[in-house]
Amino acid sequence: MTARTSSAREDILRAVRENLAASSHHERHVQAEARHDGRTLPLASATAQRLEQSRSLVARFSERLEAAGGTCVTVTSRQEAASAIAAILIEAGVRRTAAPDAALVAQLSPASAGIEWSTLDGMSRDQLFHCDAGVTSAQWGIAETGTLVLESAAEKHRLLSLVPPLHVAVLRADRICDSIGDALARLNVGANGSAAVTFITGPSRTSDIELTLTIGVHGPGALHVVLVESTA
Amino acid sequence: MTGTTLHSTGPRAFEAGARNAVADVQLRGALRKATALFGERRREALATVADWDGDRERARAIKDETLRHLDRYLEQFSANAERAGARVHWARDGRDACEIISGIARERQARSVVKSKSMATEEIHLNAALASHGIDVVETDLGEYIIQLAGETPSHIVVPAIHKTASQVSELFAEKLGVARVTDTSALTRIARDTLRAKFAAAHVGVSGVNFGVAETGTILILENEGNARLTTSLPRTHVALMGIEKVIPRFEDLEVFLRLLPRSGTGQRITTYQSLLTGVKRRPDDEGPDELHIVLLDNGRSRLLSHPLTRQSLMCIRCGACLNACPVYQQIGGHAYGSVYPGPIGAVITPQLAGIHQAGHLPYASTLCGACREVCPVKIDIPALLLHLRARSVEAQAPRKGGGVRERLAFRLYALVMSRPSLFRGATNVGRAVQRMAGVRGLVRRPGAIGRLTPLLGAWTAWRDLRPLAPRSFRDQWNARAWKSAERGGEA
Repeated sequence: MTARTSSAREDILRAVRENLAASSHHERHVQAEARHDGRTLPLASATAQRLEQSRSLVARFSERLEAAGGTCVTVTSRQEAASAIAAILIEAGVRRTAAPDAALVAQLSPASAGIEWSTLDGMSRDQLFHCDAGVTSAQWGIAETGTLVLESAAEKHRLLSLVPPLHVAVLRADRICDSIGDALARLNVGANGSAAVTFITGPSRTSDIELTLTIGVHGPGALHVVLVESTA
Repeated sequence: MTGTTLHSTGPRAFEAGARNAVADVQLRGALRKATALFGERRREALATVADWDGDRERARAIKDETLRHLDRYLEQFSANAERAGARVHWARDGRDACEIISGIARERQARSVVKSKSMATEEIHLNAALASHGIDVVETDLGEYIIQLAGETPSHIVVPAIHKTASQVSELFAEKLGVARVTDTSALTRIARDTLRAKFAAAHVGVSGVNFGVAETGTILILENEGNARLTTSLPRTHVALMGIEKVIPRFEDLEVFLRLLPRSGTGQRITTYQSLLTGVKRRPDDEGPDELHIVLLDNGRSRLLSHPLTRQSLMCIRCGACLNACPVYQQIGGHAYGSVYPGPIGAVITPQLAGIHQAGHLPYASTLCGACREVCPVKIDIPALLLHLRARSVEAQAPRKGGGVRERLAFRLYALVMSRPSLFRGATNVGRAVQRMAGVRGLVRRPGAIGRLTPLLGAWTAWRDLRPLAPRSFRDQWNARAWKSAERGGEA
């Protein structure tokens, strides 16, 4: 198979080159396509962005997040964040909660809540499937769309933000970017970066049956964001 | 397993499929609802973008630049993906790709494979290929899961089971899964979630498609709303991503414009719920995610489309489905009638080019050439121009066999002759009027305002369309008569 596929590579690249060469013959007869490569065109929506920017990033982020079906609560300290999370978990009737690592659990699990907290490490797949909530942090937010950006280099977010029926994400307010483009520019997917970057905007949804919007199909049915604004 | 083929099932089957669809009241209701809703949402969503047309130009320019140097960008993508730990495979055609993917699954002794929605896997009939090796394939997108259980094919590329009602889904789940009948959509969704969770937990291999592949970083991007693509690409040990060679884009930053265009055009969302940006495999052994990522680059006829600037733009398609929703033909007949994996205007363009004009030369005729598809296309593909080009190729391909080409060419020569000479035109229309009066007596004008059937010689024209009858008196005659009268009355203004 290897021999066949390695020659397949050559076959495909040769076919691409030959067909492109044939195309250059027709190119002159066809009205010239725009010869810019896309970068030279002005970045769209510059005016709208400037208008929007006059409003605070936090306000725009939470507005868009709520429009997508998530909720957002703003706090000003770690302690407040911990009690906000406890309130969310108690309200949802959560019994088992998981977080990516011990440090986050220590920071955010209030001792009195009566909720069983565990870390992802050492958890079996079965145990994970039986968790009621996953708590992660988010590395970036996007005001334009109300999106959370989670990087695998920072934390093991992939399953905890997906498998349990409820996802709570902690985001620092100063990490909210203006646009998708701004967030993309901050990401590192290189060798020492993230193998998986996940954009999350609201709870999991589908309209596959009779176009009726249904929340929580494969992923969480609820998404709560705890925004931490630094007071200092 | 299913009857879908990339190449269409032929003009007769299209005719039958279209007739069935038009007679299916439930299907037409569902299609009307879906296409109207997506059309409306799309219009609302693009109103939130300051320079929609500029974004379309920009995206088109990026795609055009990529395609004009596709060899270079493919090599760059492949090198960077492998540097990040992915394994890149090259598949000349569907058979190559099926062999590669079945081989990967068999080497890992996978009994079951979970799949997220991917048009490319349907194009190559991957499910049938895996099933022939005794591997159980489970579609995990809710709509795809429903039609897989029903043994049917998608009727819409964004909402594959749009032709099914909630009570039909309820019957289906009761029959196939042995669950109680519930018609509430959230209860039905819950059943699918629970059933599929077990499948996710058991699968060793996850197969996904790819929306964009970034040459600069080797990243693949997958968009979705449900979370099944995330489960497919996170839980199994092995992730296989099938990617058409046209999916590559040069730079990471290029993703921005496509993320603005694709969700708005497809579902009218500002952004879909999830975007997974996957670059190679996990960096540390105790990280989450699959141990291996295989990216299968699929040609399957695509490279041929590079040979002319006109056909090349077919490869710019980002599979949003906006042209389906906008198409007056699709709105009436839905996806099944096309008999091809890719339906609607873009399907009528892609299918004959990938499968060959002899296989699907009739599909470009399934259009009124109204141009609505070109209006909504986020990368400005000139679909009507491609449809005309393919019609011409279809005629050329048929001409030597039938001799019908000679008659048709003669007819159009005559038409051109008449239309370019006023005296001939007047003579011909007078003859036409005389014939029409006689025909009216013989009942050939089926209903007021339309001729339903022409003489055998020109019958092909009216087999599929009504012809407007000639006015009893031409405008020119009326004008002349009126001008004459007013001159007689003394020429007042």
